[in-house]
Amino acid sequence: MESKKALSAGNPVTAYIKRNIGILVGLILLVVVVSISEPRFFTASNLINLLRSNAVNAIISCGLLLAILMGEIDISVGSTVGLTGVIGAWLIANTNLPVPVTVLAALGVGALIGVINGVSISYLKVPAFVATLATQSLGRGLTEIISGGVTIRVRNDAYTSLGNATIGGISIIIFYAAAILLITWVLLNKTKFGYYTYALGGNKTAAQYSGVNVKKYNMLPYILIGVLCGIGGVIWSARLGSAAATLGEGFEMDAIAAVVIGGTSMSGGVGTVGGTFIGILIIGVITNGLNLMGINSFWQNVLKGVIILAAVIIDVARKNRSKQQ
Amino acid sequence: MSQTKLLEMTGITKAFASNIVLNGVDLSLDEGEVVAILGENGAGKSTLIKILGGIYSMDSGTIRIHGEGKNINSAAVAAANGIRIIHQEIILVPGRTIAANVFLGRELRDHLGFMDAKRMEEETQKVIDDFGLNLKADQLVGDLSIGMQQLVEIIKAVSADAKIVVMDEPTSSLSQGEVETLFGIIHQLQKKKVGIIYISHRLEELFAITDRIVVLRDGKMIGNVVTKEADRDKLISMMVGRELSSYYTRNRHEIKGVSLEVKQLSHETYFKDVSFYARYGEIVGFAGLIGAGRTELMKTIFGAFQKSAGEVFLDGKPVSIRKPQDAIDLGIVYVSEDRRGEGLILNNDVKFNMGLVCLSDFIHGIGVNQTAWDDMVESYRKKFSIKITSPHQLASNLSGGNQQKVVLSKWLAKKPKVIILDEPTRGIDVGSKAEIYGIIDELAGQGVSIIMVSSELPEIINMCNRCYVMCEGRLTGELEEHDFTQEAMMDFATRREVQ
Repeated sequence: MESKKALSAGNPVTAYIKRNIGILVGLILLVVVVSISEPRFFTASNLINLLRSNAVNAIISCGLLLAILMGEIDISVGSTVGLTGVIGAWLIANTNLPVPVTVLAALGVGALIGVINGVSISYLKVPAFVATLATQSLGRGLTEIISGGVTIRVRNDAYTSLGNATIGGISIIIFYAAAILLITWVLLNKTKFGYYTYALGGNKTAAQYSGVNVKKYNMLPYILIGVLCGIGGVIWSARLGSAAATLGEGFEMDAIAAVVIGGTSMSGGVGTVGGTFIGILIIGVITNGLNLMGINSFWQNVLKGVIILAAVIIDVARKNRSKQQ
Repeated sequence: MSQTKLLEMTGITKAFASNIVLNGVDLSLDEGEVVAILGENGAGKSTLIKILGGIYSMDSGTIRIHGEGKNINSAAVAAANGIRIIHQEIILVPGRTIAANVFLGRELRDHLGFMDAKRMEEETQKVIDDFGLNLKADQLVGDLSIGMQQLVEIIKAVSADAKIVVMDEPTSSLSQGEVETLFGIIHQLQKKKVGIIYISHRLEELFAITDRIVVLRDGKMIGNVVTKEADRDKLISMMVGRELSSYYTRNRHEIKGVSLEVKQLSHETYFKDVSFYARYGEIVGFAGLIGAGRTELMKTIFGAFQKSAGEVFLDGKPVSIRKPQDAIDLGIVYVSEDRRGEGLILNNDVKFNMGLVCLSDFIHGIGVNQTAWDDMVESYRKKFSIKITSPHQLASNLSGGNQQKVVLSKWLAKKPKVIILDEPTRGIDVGSKAEIYGIIDELAGQGVSIIMVSSELPEIINMCNRCYVMCEGRLTGELEEHDFTQEAMMDFATRREVQ
């Protein structure tokens, strides 16, 4: 009975736990298993490290959540991170532009990719997968051209501190990620933009017939995704103090995984920031734990693939069950 | 004709939950005979056909083919017994050839086990030529007109061992010439001793092609007449002669000035030259058969479809409506006949659905006025006695009646001037129906201008002040309340030409 899952108004914490009980249990089990097999896992420094290394994935996952909530997808995010990161690094290395301008330029390029995606999908009716596959290739190609295939080094403390500063001993990028998760939550739960995102993914025709400007609200999230990728690109190039043509490769994979594991329905209309947050942590613990255990990244990819598949199978099964009622 | 009947269906009964849709219906068919099933929308025709086709199981009754009892419990069993059902919708693969479509699922192989395209094309061509069609087996289905595709669908169905062919509204998308071709195909089939069940609303076709006409009404068999001895008026009265139920609420309200006026509105494919008006405090009906173009007309007025010509006026002023948003801003709203597909966001909750149209009342920039929103939901829940466990219940878990009340709340919160109701009581239980009629009456009393599309004639007769009738994309008649009779409406609804 799906209706029992609909929460009655009450304690938001209980509601949150109830709604995400399955993945919460999964996360806890995962933490227990990893902690037992690898004592170095459950230490403050490692946990902070885990959060830091997943901060950019959290930011991009917020973007992917928007696309998947609309029943669509954006697989161009990884290459947009690469493109914006390389542009940021290149501008610092080759011009005297002030850091804020450089950052704005990178975010602007991200937004531009978002506009291309959004216009193609919303106004020109290109399927999201195809449109973003095209911009993925376009972005990656430009990244390679700009970087000339070599790593661009950044020697500008103001810029690199964007990724390396700490607040109270905790990396600043964890705060960025927290802020963006919060902003996304506010957008989805407190603004028309958010309600329309759910409406579009739930039933586009009903939304259109209810007077929603579906073209506009179908496009806007993609622009936002592009900006989020720009933030991710700047953070990465700043943190590493360099940007390579391969920056961001495969980032879409972790983000999609986090969103889907977080209980977002691939067919749209159902999903939360809270669930996505747990999905991000699950992906983080897997990566971090396997790294600590010395299992190489090839196996990590295999495992993530299996987990995404399982999450989608559960989603589809759940839907079939509620259809039969 | 052989001694035993080709097909005998006796005492067929079927109920969905407590709703009896077929009640002891008998139907028989001889070899080479064409029998029509005639009835209003909802009379039970499709259910009967779906039972024969093995899609629904019957609650009681027997089916015999050549005197032999059959248990047709799946579509595959029906097909194995030579039963072919041709549906109204075209189910062909447009990017493949006619031959590939005709042989889909029973492809011929050559001696190496590969697809034998040549032989399939030859055999398909033979069938095409047999029926005298001007088609080539290697043409792509997608390149054909809709009418021709319909004929390909028919060829596909009858090309392999058909004994009993059911055609459900086969002419709905055919041109006059294509109808002649179809009749040619039917004559060919008759020669091959195939029995044909022909479902159509178009009386003149029934007179032209059928041997016998069976009339269904409210799930019962009302008449079984030899076509030669039947006449149009008698058939119409058999179709509609049900007694009118007493659950309508109807008070006399003052009718004020003209609200919406439509002049010579046309759509490229669905309707042509439609002109009508509606007034404040008035309930205007739109009668007609399914496919008459009423829904498309309303969607065009609402801006969901684009007009090809014509003008729309509101309060005497011309208005430009390009998208639903424009209509809603003007105070014209459309309550779709397809609640699940176009009205509700099923995987979201009642509160979300109710607030969607006037979200601006609850959200200003950042921050949601949950109290105002909850109050709105609560007020409509009380007013329409909507049965929900909480405002957070998913829309998909509500009954049809409650879903419709949620949709109505969503629109009424916008305080519309003109409300277009498309089949407002379709798929709703009797109790909720009565409540919906009460709501409609109350709205009219508040001076709202109501346009009600309905395929249930009693609903129009009992609720409307005035009604228009459409047939095949044209307005064929207008009736004032004192002229309302089911016969008059059905007469207009089956007229192919404007009188």
